[in-house]
Amino acid sequence: MKQLIDRVDARLDAWGEALKGREFRFPSDLTAGIVFALAGIVMLLALPGQVTVTGGDVVDGRAFPTLLMGVMLAGCAALIGKELVKLARKQPIAWKTVNLLVEVKALVILAILLVTYLLCKYTGLFVIGAVFCALGFLVFFRCRKWSYYAITLALAAGIWCAFRFGLGVRF
Amino acid sequence: MLEFIGPASRLLFTLENILWINIGVFIGSVFAAIPGLTVILCVILFLPFTYQMTAIPGMMFLLGIYCAGGYGGSVSAILINTPGTPHAAATMLDGHPLSKQGRTKAALKIALYASTFGGMFSALMLLFLGPQVARVAAQLGTAEYFMVCLFGLTIIAGVSGRSMVKGIISACVGLLISCIGADPMTGYDRLTFGVGRLYLGLDLAVCLIGLFALVEILAKAELKPDALHLDAKKMEDSGVITKEEYKRMARPVLLSSLIGSLVGIIPGTGASEASWFSYNTAKNMSKHPEEFGHGSVEGIAAAESANNAVTGATLIPLLTLGIPGDGTVAIMLSALMINGLNPGLSLFTTDGDIMYAIMLGLILVNLFMLFQGKFLTRLFAKVVSIPQEILTPVIVIFCFAGAYSVNKNYFDVAVALVFAVAAWVLRKLDMPAVPILLGMVLGNMTETNFRRALLISNGSPAIFFSSVYCIIFLVLIVVAVGTIVRGKLNERKAAQAAGKEL
Repeated sequence: MKQLIDRVDARLDAWGEALKGREFRFPSDLTAGIVFALAGIVMLLALPGQVTVTGGDVVDGRAFPTLLMGVMLAGCAALIGKELVKLARKQPIAWKTVNLLVEVKALVILAILLVTYLLCKYTGLFVIGAVFCALGFLVFFRCRKWSYYAITLALAAGIWCAFRFGLGVRF
Repeated sequence: MLEFIGPASRLLFTLENILWINIGVFIGSVFAAIPGLTVILCVILFLPFTYQMTAIPGMMFLLGIYCAGGYGGSVSAILINTPGTPHAAATMLDGHPLSKQGRTKAALKIALYASTFGGMFSALMLLFLGPQVARVAAQLGTAEYFMVCLFGLTIIAGVSGRSMVKGIISACVGLLISCIGADPMTGYDRLTFGVGRLYLGLDLAVCLIGLFALVEILAKAELKPDALHLDAKKMEDSGVITKEEYKRMARPVLLSSLIGSLVGIIPGTGASEASWFSYNTAKNMSKHPEEFGHGSVEGIAAAESANNAVTGATLIPLLTLGIPGDGTVAIMLSALMINGLNPGLSLFTTDGDIMYAIMLGLILVNLFMLFQGKFLTRLFAKVVSIPQEILTPVIVIFCFAGAYSVNKNYFDVAVALVFAVAAWVLRKLDMPAVPILLGMVLGNMTETNFRRALLISNGSPAIFFSSVYCIIFLVLIVVAVGTIVRGKLNERKAAQAAGKEL
């Protein structure tokens, strides 16, 4: 068993080393401006179908979201414009570096969270999801201390008990 | 005011309230002592608990967490040179050096006493200033209220993060999220995209669990393996503070409490700004400025009293105008409103007994923080060393249980997960999350007042410039924007100059 764990650890370390050095950069302010401008335009186009109004209102339910999207688009334009001017003047712009290893790890954590959610939802037993979550994270952190497993599982069950019997949440 | 003190005391001094205060203070101290766990995260996690409580115990519990969080952050700052919360960073500058001199217990004691004094000072400010501000707030109409919301959002968008424009975009996103669900004036559904469950809107607590708590779990991907375990230093000193040291601390504590309270009243500014500002002021005024950074008792006292003096003051704009002073108290607003308590003058008149009970309770919270700090500091110090392997799944389980318990529905857990992923993407784009929170909190109030004002004026935007209060807030917005932009430009220039020097 120990040998198997060691072998898995070694394989994971090798993958980690391979991913560790892989980084890519993107212009953060420019990207944020473009992403939110697109989101704002989509939202503006979707508003008529998403907000029912009756004719004749001085100010209807669309007015406020439309105003917000207008402000947001103006902000995005300012952000994009500022970065483009910097680029034209060959001044440094804001860059963000993303490490591939970190992103892969974040995806693994997200997978643990998703499976926990699905287990809770489809079994109808929150405690099953809680136990999976505890085990999932201990394995993710490559924990080899059995006492930590015992403590975390006990805490998982304890939280379920506190909500179930202390607060009367049926799950 | 005096007519409410008697009934408020009767409401406050119950076994249930005392118990919840102590539980809150304990949880707040423990959470803030652990690096990486913030007070806002703690308040979000425990907010669903308060949905089952009445107003006073619920608020006492949350205020216990909030105030004790101010002190708890200093424990790890002093012990392991890592601030438990961002606002304890200034404490760390002198706290840890003093600890290295073999005076760990003394440093923790100074932090505790200064925090308690700052908290008490701030609670008294709230007690005396709150009702006066509420009287002014009562004179505001819908147009003025819209301007107040705009003022709060502008400052918060401006001070959160590196770029003011990004802050404004985030605030717009938060305001738009608050539009999801039934139209507050007509009842028609909006932005539900065919999901029937969204007609009721998105619950604030659920969104915040994703936005602030679960995203921290995703951020564990950035954790270095050696950061999983932190060992705290042992406390072996007697903890004695000399008379001379008490004398030296008196002036910075008093001044920093005043600074902290004033900073706290301004929406968007918080404990971090207060503690740094006070630390610098104390250094400039000290007879021993050379000791700062090397274990100065004045430095610890100034930083700690200031960051706790913010706690009561941030409640002043919250309780009187509905504008949260910082992100953490924004969450407390929902705990108040779920019990039918809406910010404004009525809170200090019609519901005066409850309100005064909460304000008096804040003094009590600080007293219990002092007692717990005196007797449980050793325990708080041990908590610093809780390994991340245990802590991380426990937080996730709490998040999931909390999100589910709000409406007893797994839909809310899914919403929290969606918000966590969105918050992760926002981090990658360097977009601040606090303006989103404030947008969500102030969304309904902003929109309702905006539309009502336009209805009154028959669609003319001139109403937003029609009264003295509107003009005052407009001037405040312009001054705030100007100050923020100037500050950011100075920061950038300083950074460029530092870059050139390197």
